[in-house]
Amino acid sequence: MAKPTPTIAITATRRIANSILRHPRSSTPSLLLSRARSTPSTPSTSTRLQQQQTPSSSSSSRPYHSTTHPPPPPPFTPSELSLLSSSYPHIPLHGFTPTSLLLGARDLSLLDISPSILPNGGEFSLIHYHLHLQRTLLSTKLDSLFHGTEAIMSTQEKVEALTWARLKANSQIISRWQEALAIMAIPSYAPQALKELALLSDEILFLAGDKSVDPTWYTKRASLATIYAAAELFMTTDKSAGFSETRAFLRRRLNEANTAGGFVGAVGQYLGFTGSAVVNILRSKGVVI
Amino acid sequence: MATRSVSRRAIPLIRQCSVSQRAFSTTLSSRNTNTTSNNTTTTPEYAIPNPSRPTHFGFETVTEQEKRKRVAGVFTSVAESYDRMNDLMSFGWHRVWKDHFVSSLNPGFSPLSSTSSPTGPQHILDIAGGTGDIAFRMLHHAHNVNANPSVRVTISDINRAMLQVGKARSATLPASHQAALSFVEANAEDLSKTRPLQPILSESEQTFFDPATATAGIPDNSVDLYTVAFGIRNFSNIPAALREARRVLKPGGVFACLEFSKADKLPLFNTVYKEWSFRAIPLIGQLVAGDRDSYQYLVESIERFPSQEEFRDMIVDAGFVVAGQGYEDLTGGVAAIHKGMKPRDA
Repeated sequence: MAKPTPTIAITATRRIANSILRHPRSSTPSLLLSRARSTPSTPSTSTRLQQQQTPSSSSSSRPYHSTTHPPPPPPFTPSELSLLSSSYPHIPLHGFTPTSLLLGARDLSLLDISPSILPNGGEFSLIHYHLHLQRTLLSTKLDSLFHGTEAIMSTQEKVEALTWARLKANSQIISRWQEALAIMAIPSYAPQALKELALLSDEILFLAGDKSVDPTWYTKRASLATIYAAAELFMTTDKSAGFSETRAFLRRRLNEANTAGGFVGAVGQYLGFTGSAVVNILRSKGVVI
Repeated sequence: MATRSVSRRAIPLIRQCSVSQRAFSTTLSSRNTNTTSNNTTTTPEYAIPNPSRPTHFGFETVTEQEKRKRVAGVFTSVAESYDRMNDLMSFGWHRVWKDHFVSSLNPGFSPLSSTSSPTGPQHILDIAGGTGDIAFRMLHHAHNVNANPSVRVTISDINRAMLQVGKARSATLPASHQAALSFVEANAEDLSKTRPLQPILSESEQTFFDPATATAGIPDNSVDLYTVAFGIRNFSNIPAALREARRVLKPGGVFACLEFSKADKLPLFNTVYKEWSFRAIPLIGQLVAGDRDSYQYLVESIERFPSQEEFRDMIVDAGFVVAGQGYEDLTGGVAAIHKGMKPRDA
C-alpha cells in the first residue's frame, strides 16, 4: 500500500476518492481472521487519507506516496490461503507447527497429507501468514485507534499507537512467539522475515501520515523496525497485566529515538553552520574556494 | 512441446478427434467408461493417449507407442545397474534429494494418536517406483519417524524388470514394512488397468506391462499421496498421466513429483552441469553398465523435459492447485520438487 510511487493525476485521484466516498463503508471486520482477509480493507483507509490530502493536493505539492495504488496481492495462492487461515485458530494451542496445519486441513475436510503442498513444511508459511495478516489488518484499526482525533495527534503519537496495536495483535499467540522468532531467524527464512519487518515499519509510518521524502525516510523506518523487533522480543517475557511493561518499554524506546534523532539533527545543524562559517571566513581572507 | 501447441490449435475439433481415436485405442475407450468424474468431457485432446501421436524420445521424435517400447527397453537394460549408476552420476547426491523429497511430504504424520485421521489410513501410490527408493523411504518415515504403522504404499511401474529389482531389495526390510508394501504393474497413463507383479519366467519375455493382461485397477478417489520420482519425463503422454493422477487421488490428496529440471538460473553452474551430463554420463554408462545409448537417452530426456514453470503450469492445467510458486529447486535447479493438491470441490 505504501508504495513510493508518485500519484500521477491529482484530479483522477480526487474523482476516485469521491467515488469511494459515495460507497457505503465496509463494516469493521469481525475477529474471525479468515474472513477478515477477504474483506477489502483499503477503501476506508484510502478514503480517510484522501480526505486528509484533498486540501493540500489542490496546491502544487504532489504526495510522494500513492493512495490510489491498489494493495499488492497477498503472497499466497488461494489454496494456500484457505489452508493457512483455517490453521490459524489452532496456533495458540499447537503453535506454528505441522500439527496446527494438519488440524486446519481437517477443518476444511481435507486430508492429513494436504498441508505438505506448502513450501518447506509450512511452518514458516504460517508465520508469514500471521505477519502479513496483522500488518494488513492495521489499516482497518485506524478508527478504533484514533477515534477521529488524528488531526490533533502528532505523527509520533500515531506511530506509538499503531506500533502498540500491532504488538497487541501478538498477544493471542505470545506464548508461541519465541519459537516463531527462532524459525524466522533460520538463514533461509531470515530475508523474508526481515522484509516483512520492513514492510510493517513502512506501513506504520504511512498510516501515521509520515510524508518525508528525505534521507529520514530510511532512518525513520530503520529505527522503527529496530524498536518494534526489540519490543516484540521484550513482550515474549512480559508477565505484567495487559503487557503494560511492554508498552512502557515501547514508549521509552520511541522517546529515545526521538531524542537521539533530535540530537543528531542538532549536531548536523551545528556542523553545517560551523562549516559554512569557516568557509566564509576563509573566503573573506582571500582564499579561493 | 511441439505436440502440445499443435493440439492446442486443434481444440475446436476435440469432439470429432476423440471419437475417431476411440475407434482404434482400446485403452482409451475402457478408460473413459471407467472414469466417473466429469472431466471426461473436458479432457483436452493432448491429454488423451494416442499411440500414433509424435512425442520425443531424447532428441529424437517418435510416436507415443514407440516411446513406450523404447523406454521399456532402456529400463530393462539398466535395471540391474540402476542404483549404482545413480550414485556415480550424481555423486550420491540423489539420496539427499530423495530423503528431502520424502521428509518434505511428511507421510503418516499424525499429531497425537488420540485423534486418528477421520479419513482413514494413508495410501501412498509410488508411480514409476520400480526399485523402491522412494517407497522404502516413505515407509521408514511413516512407520519409524512418525510412528504410524497404518500407512500403506503401492509401488507401480510399467516395467517388470525394475519392479523385480525393487521386490528383491524389499526382502531386507522389516516384516512390518514388507506387509505394508505391494507391487503392481501398470501404465501411469491408465491406472484403471493393473495387475499384481508377475515373476519373469523367461529371458525373452517382454517385460513391459500389457493392459490386455490387467486383472484389477486403481479406483477413483482412493489415494492420499501420489509420488513420481525421476519417472515422469519418460512418460509418453505427461498430461494424460497428470489427469490420471488427479482421478485416483482423493480430494485433498497430493501429487508430488521429483524430477530433473533446469539450472538456468545459475549460468556458470549450468555450464559445468551440462558438460558433465553430456560428456561424462554416457561414458560412465558405457564403462559401468555397458550401455551408452540408454544413458545418452537419459541426459537427452532431461534436456527435453519442460522447465519448472512450464511443468507447474501443466500440473495446474490438469486440475491441481499449488501453493507458493508450486515447485522447489534442489541443487540450483538440477532437480525440482513439484507439488499439487487435488482441490476439494473437484
